[in-house]
Amino acid sequence: MKILHKTDFDFLKYRKITYGISIALLLAGMISLVFKGLNYGIDFRGGSDVVVRFEKNVDVGSVRTVLKDAGISGTLKQYGMDRSFLLSTVFSGETNELKALITNALKDRLPDNEHEIVRIDSVGPSIASDMKWSALKALFAALAAILLYVGIRFELKFATAGVIAIFHDVFFILGMFSILGGVFTFMPLEMDQSIIAAFLTVAGYSVTDTVVVYDRIRERIRGRKPSEYEAIFNESMNQTLTRTVITSGTTMITVLILFIFAGPAIRGFAFAVFAGILIGTYSSLFIAVPIVYDWLRLKKSAVKLRGGSAS
Amino acid sequence: MKNKPFNLFLIVLVTIVSLWSLWPTWRDYSLTRQIDRFASAEDSLKFSLAHREEIENIRKKSLKLGLDLKGGMHLVMEVDQIDLFEQKAWNKDAKFDAIMARVRQKASSSDASVIDLIVSEFRKENIRLSRYFYDIRNTDREITDKLRKESEDALARAREIIRNRIDQYGVAEPVITTQGSRRLIIELAGISDENRVRNLLKGTAKLEFKLLRDPEVLLRVLDKVNSSLAVKQPLVAVISDTARTGLPVGQLQPAQAEKTPQTGPLTEVLTVMQNGSVYVPEDSKDFVAQLFRRNDVSALIPQDSELLLAAKPDQFEDGKNYYPVFLLRKTAELTGGVITEAKATFSAEGAQPEVLMEMNSDGTAKWARITGANIGKRIAIVLDGAVYSAPVVQSKIPNGNSVINGIESVEEAKDLEIVLKAGALPAPVRILEERTVGPSLGADYIRAGAVSLVSGFLAVTAFMLIYYRIAGFAANAAVVLNILIVLSVLAGFSASLSLPGIAGIVLTIGMAVDANVLIYERIREELDEGKSVVTAVTAGYDKAFSSILDSHVTTLAAAYLLYTFGIGPIQGFAVTLMIGTAASLFTAIIVTKEIFGFMLSRNILSARSFG
Repeated sequence: MKILHKTDFDFLKYRKITYGISIALLLAGMISLVFKGLNYGIDFRGGSDVVVRFEKNVDVGSVRTVLKDAGISGTLKQYGMDRSFLLSTVFSGETNELKALITNALKDRLPDNEHEIVRIDSVGPSIASDMKWSALKALFAALAAILLYVGIRFELKFATAGVIAIFHDVFFILGMFSILGGVFTFMPLEMDQSIIAAFLTVAGYSVTDTVVVYDRIRERIRGRKPSEYEAIFNESMNQTLTRTVITSGTTMITVLILFIFAGPAIRGFAFAVFAGILIGTYSSLFIAVPIVYDWLRLKKSAVKLRGGSAS
Repeated sequence: MKNKPFNLFLIVLVTIVSLWSLWPTWRDYSLTRQIDRFASAEDSLKFSLAHREEIENIRKKSLKLGLDLKGGMHLVMEVDQIDLFEQKAWNKDAKFDAIMARVRQKASSSDASVIDLIVSEFRKENIRLSRYFYDIRNTDREITDKLRKESEDALARAREIIRNRIDQYGVAEPVITTQGSRRLIIELAGISDENRVRNLLKGTAKLEFKLLRDPEVLLRVLDKVNSSLAVKQPLVAVISDTARTGLPVGQLQPAQAEKTPQTGPLTEVLTVMQNGSVYVPEDSKDFVAQLFRRNDVSALIPQDSELLLAAKPDQFEDGKNYYPVFLLRKTAELTGGVITEAKATFSAEGAQPEVLMEMNSDGTAKWARITGANIGKRIAIVLDGAVYSAPVVQSKIPNGNSVINGIESVEEAKDLEIVLKAGALPAPVRILEERTVGPSLGADYIRAGAVSLVSGFLAVTAFMLIYYRIAGFAANAAVVLNILIVLSVLAGFSASLSLPGIAGIVLTIGMAVDANVLIYERIREELDEGKSVVTAVTAGYDKAFSSILDSHVTTLAAAYLLYTFGIGPIQGFAVTLMIGTAASLFTAIIVTKEIFGFMLSRNILSARSFG
């Protein structure tokens, strides 16, 4: 079986259009980030999340009223499992009291529907700000490490274009989280630690895609004139296209499976990685490689690449 | 293409080590299944007793599940450094209190080290640290060094004490680590009563023996506080104060707010008995306790005195609970440091749980002197700022025995015994972060993780078989070995498998085939150019190598950074991703290559074998 065998797409021809599409998407994301902002999870804003599961079906409105009457502030939402609700409230170092308050109220008002508090996550404000910083540090360290590695293995222009593509991917997901945050009840799309993990996974993935194309370009570009670059770039992308599609495909299948089966705690992560792989594949072909091509065209000189295949 | 003996040896070795490392996990699983299968509890007990040694042994070596999968608590606690430093300071005055209050406020909103905050606040006031800390001749630098040492010691001590408490409470394999200079990370699996554990960990266990002031003084003081509050502070302000601190509302009756201020807020809620003892009804307890802590209120109290409430309420005839109010000498006569032994038992009458304590020789001597000098007076036993009992001293106590009563339940007596034996924490601790997963949700997570793992594996391997046919077998063998390696490394290093970890494995399955896809596509290209199978396979591996290396290094770098900067659950994901990526480098480059080498030597492989 063969898919996309011996293709001959002119990827570079459409680069002006794809640049435009990407800029438009990123701008939309930015505008949403500025005006709507992000839906922060408790990891980054501090607070308590309590998951309550009931024995029998109960409607979210009645539980909300009961908790409100008990003086518990915060929001109550359906959690992605049967008969479960997620209460997000302010941080309290006194989990026992919070629990007692919830339990007493529910026992009092919904006596014939047993409930169980199955999960409590509580993050204090100082820890939350710590986590925000380490998340940012991890992201920027990853970008710097990738810039350095690709710079050493290929060339600075290639590395920069690769990092621009990663920025593109990460900001795309951020924008999407901002636009879609809170829209779906089955996935709140909150920014928390797992989304940072998704960013780093996507960054690693996106640069993998890009590097595979780079590698092919490196193999073929040696001793060729700048006027032949367009053909070489296009051919390299076509030759690696099958691999790109298959790997993205298998990874996306597994991520989709995580999204469906691994439960609500993983859902936001799976969604981010799924979108990230999609956009990462796109950005390798339509952002990273075209940027390198444009850059080399401006310089008008032959590029010297380090390293090469083992043969 | 010939098989290299060394590579073959390596593959066999890795497989054997992986299987060997996972053997206890398998044994553990099958033994547990066997125990569950027995019809009667007696049979299963007999079976577990017979295999006790083996079970204990394999449990230690088998793959551990994370707290989120088996249920448990993950806590981050912080030692209150400001409180610690306040204890260390001497000749404290109003100015010192004001500075520390500012430091406390700033510390709650920023990450800066408390010592730095103190230094900067002192500098702003142009006061040398030596005015309050250590020796007057010390420079600021020496003092900050000493304070830093002090807080490190306090953290280490707090860790030991908390470990003692947990050990005595009885939790299997607790993990207690320190993070930075003031945080403790505590991981406890399989907790049946979280509330009890939280209380056990949080309590400072500062035990003090304090003399009671005369009842008349108490009444006079309360009167003074009351009238001053009535004039100065409208009660409404007090209520909004309570609301701001985020205390659960509901304790405060709204009716109180409407009462005329002339009578004063205190007399409204206090009940004075004939014998001069004062009580607060349960619903006003938090309000009064907060009032007593206010600075303007403590200014009205005579020197070296404090107002405290009882730990437990008394039940009155009207069926309501009332908390006694005490006025005590602030300086403790004796503190918990002298306690050598504590024992939870029942009182002589048999019904009430209590805790008996013994003191060391120094404490015994002091206790004898104190009791001897105060016969007929009342001495309060105060634990973490709450009065447990305030018995009248009947006679001199020469043997260093004392009793805490007024305890509600046997569990509480047991917990008191634990904390008293383990000793007091050097400073109060606070819970900063908590992640608790109940066992039922954990079971759900395991099911969800297993389903994802199996379906992810089936989907990817089925695709590889359909798309690459015989070559797909080799890739799938690599995926199987890859998963084996990840699990066995986790088991071998006693790392635990969490739900994010499973997500990491599922993701690795998708990515692990990437290396093989790169190679196979390359081989197909070479075959298309009309090369022989042997040349095509060799060229495919050689030419794909640099792409594979680059992509694995970048993924490894990202996962490593995630591990370094990530906290808690995310680290589990990063670890499996790292092991999986490294394993994939091995399986793709060495394992599948050897499989092809074998198949080529047997002439099993043809150009059609690559789909």
